[in-house]
Amino acid sequence: MSDVTLASGRLNYPVSPHARRGGLHAVQRRVGILMLAPAAIAFAIVILYPFFQALGLSLFEDTLQSIEPTFIGLANFKAILADPETWNSFGITVIYVGGATIGTLVLGLGWALILNQPFRGRKALRALTIMPWVVPSTVSAFIWAWIFNSRFGVINGIYLELGLIDVPKAWLSTPEGALIAVILTRIWRSIPLFMAFFLAGLQNVDQEQIDAARVDGAGNWAILRDHLLPHLRPVLIVVVVLGVIGGLQDFDTIYALTGGGPVSATSVLSISVYRKAFEQWDIGMASAMGVLWVATLLPPAYFYLRLLIKKGN
Amino acid sequence: MKLKKLVIATLAASLMASGAARAADLSWMGYSYAEESAKPSVEKIIKGFEAKTGKTVEPIASSFGDMQKNLLLRARSKTLPSIAQISERWLPSLSKLPGLVDYNTVLGKEYLEKTYAPEALAMGQIDGKQLAIPLMSGSIGMVANQAVLDKAGIKDLPKTIEEFKTDLELIRDKVPNSVPYAMATKNNSDILVDFLTWEYVFGAHVIDPQGKVVVDSDASKKALAFLVDLMKNRLVAPEIGRPDARRLVGQNAAAFYLDAPQSRAFLRSFSGQGKAFDVNVKPMQVPSLKAGDTPVSIQWAHLIIAFAQSNPPTKEDANMMFAEYLGDDAVETQFPVEQSALPGTISARANPVVADDVYLTAWAKNNTHPLRNEVGIWSNGGELTDILAQEVQAALLAQKSPEEAIASMGERMKASMTKAGYAQ
Repeated sequence: MSDVTLASGRLNYPVSPHARRGGLHAVQRRVGILMLAPAAIAFAIVILYPFFQALGLSLFEDTLQSIEPTFIGLANFKAILADPETWNSFGITVIYVGGATIGTLVLGLGWALILNQPFRGRKALRALTIMPWVVPSTVSAFIWAWIFNSRFGVINGIYLELGLIDVPKAWLSTPEGALIAVILTRIWRSIPLFMAFFLAGLQNVDQEQIDAARVDGAGNWAILRDHLLPHLRPVLIVVVVLGVIGGLQDFDTIYALTGGGPVSATSVLSISVYRKAFEQWDIGMASAMGVLWVATLLPPAYFYLRLLIKKGN
Repeated sequence: MKLKKLVIATLAASLMASGAARAADLSWMGYSYAEESAKPSVEKIIKGFEAKTGKTVEPIASSFGDMQKNLLLRARSKTLPSIAQISERWLPSLSKLPGLVDYNTVLGKEYLEKTYAPEALAMGQIDGKQLAIPLMSGSIGMVANQAVLDKAGIKDLPKTIEEFKTDLELIRDKVPNSVPYAMATKNNSDILVDFLTWEYVFGAHVIDPQGKVVVDSDASKKALAFLVDLMKNRLVAPEIGRPDARRLVGQNAAAFYLDAPQSRAFLRSFSGQGKAFDVNVKPMQVPSLKAGDTPVSIQWAHLIIAFAQSNPPTKEDANMMFAEYLGDDAVETQFPVEQSALPGTISARANPVVADDVYLTAWAKNNTHPLRNEVGIWSNGGELTDILAQEVQAALLAQKSPEEAIASMGERMKASMTKAGYAQ
């Protein structure tokens, strides 16, 4: 025990009589709050205030016809839940988010495994892989709209050249074609991010362990299944949660590529909210739908935050 | 010393702020200013007004597709412009905006009737109020591309739908990679105009003047079946909106499409040939059900609405001076003609610049009885447009039969109109 410490455990430093108890902690706390304040204020203005305003509006009838919004309680929610279009929109959202997340997961992991191998030009290829992530989402949408275009599209060009079709096919005009197109666009945009996560995870794998497995006769599939995937488990969980959140938030790519059509084949929740608000001018219903949309985002967001906090601890 | 510096800095900042606030005497928000081909014409108007009155104008660009939405959003944030350019079909939905000026009370009913062509002025009236004045007017009618017709060996423009279909088949077979009729099959507001046109051709209606939904009729089913048949026979194509149609016609890859008289200006631009392309642009009558029927077209106009700058608004307000200036011959013989549309004023229409324009004369001759857009005019027009376009698309893409689509359209529209307060 140090000679500046009393038997009680308290420090025996000379302390100013004006000093308050826990002074250093209090100062740290105040500095912490001060540092947090700008972000907290920005969050309150940009996110929290509009959210609570939307929450309030969801309880009102607020359309183009109504000069003043009228309080109607939960009627908007009742109407939305009774509307088959809403359930259709939920269904499309599930397919879109599920398809895009699984597709990105498989292709992102595969691509990361390839880029983890030593070969000439690996660095350049890694840098190029980031491109779809860097390109603005609407630009990505226009690139894919051109690829799928029924008259000038690349896919039709190749198919016609190979003689697989006689007349150009309107890919974006069938519900399945349009949905596949928006999912593929999302996958293409998300692969770089997933790949970066997986690549980081793969670079932490103990190479000696892999070599030992190979000596024991393990093939590629066995190494992936028994060694790499268990090692990547925490990364897998994070990318799946991030993929789901990103998919649920997506609007711009789908709007630019299909506008939610044909009919309402690609009308995910975000598109439905936009249509209700800015095409049908029903702000109350759009707000109610927005609240439901946020509700679908909460579970994955909560799960992700819990993971982060756990990891932090 | 420090205090002195602070006072000077504060004064400078205040002066700059007040200067910024007084940057312009009025703001003009319009979609023509957002269009590359029309922007120089709008700038000419603004310069002319500023030179004549000494008042300054701040132009605000908004694309046509976003204009209605932007006005409604600005109304919510209390940042409405002093004056705005709108499409005639938006007026009913915008008529409840706060501060909208009734021109009768400021410029006088007599002056307006003396200045503007009656049918153009009527498009700006709601419940006896003159809430908008016309900047330019016309109709939405059919345009043919002479070069494509020549390639297909078609000598005369089709008069009936039978002749129309025969010509479309000829074009499909003789002009490879073409879309014979570039009908709007995407973008809800574009589908609305094209479907309405064919509804009227078949003698059908969607909503009557009292607000009753009447679309579920045999005539409507026949109209939609006609369009579905065109799609099945590859005479129209999916994924085409109005801008796509203009590009296709401008590049000699489509023979017919529906558009406003501005068509000529768009086609000059999209063909890359400028005025040299005019020989190919042929305004024509929309083919009728049988020979002798009155050809169909739909009312179309660009209107000007204003938001009060003083209470009550007066003729001396900058925006009222601007609105009055827009009716001046200097503007009306320039802007509409450059945009290939008819001016809204009587004197400009009589001016040789307009009267001697072969294209405008042909347009007026072919579209003598434009009909009202009976869907877009209702306060729930946005929802009605979505419903109509979705059902038409569903039929065109073979997801529903024409009968099912029309029945579903009727049911959904009735529910929407009932919700909006129009008894069914």
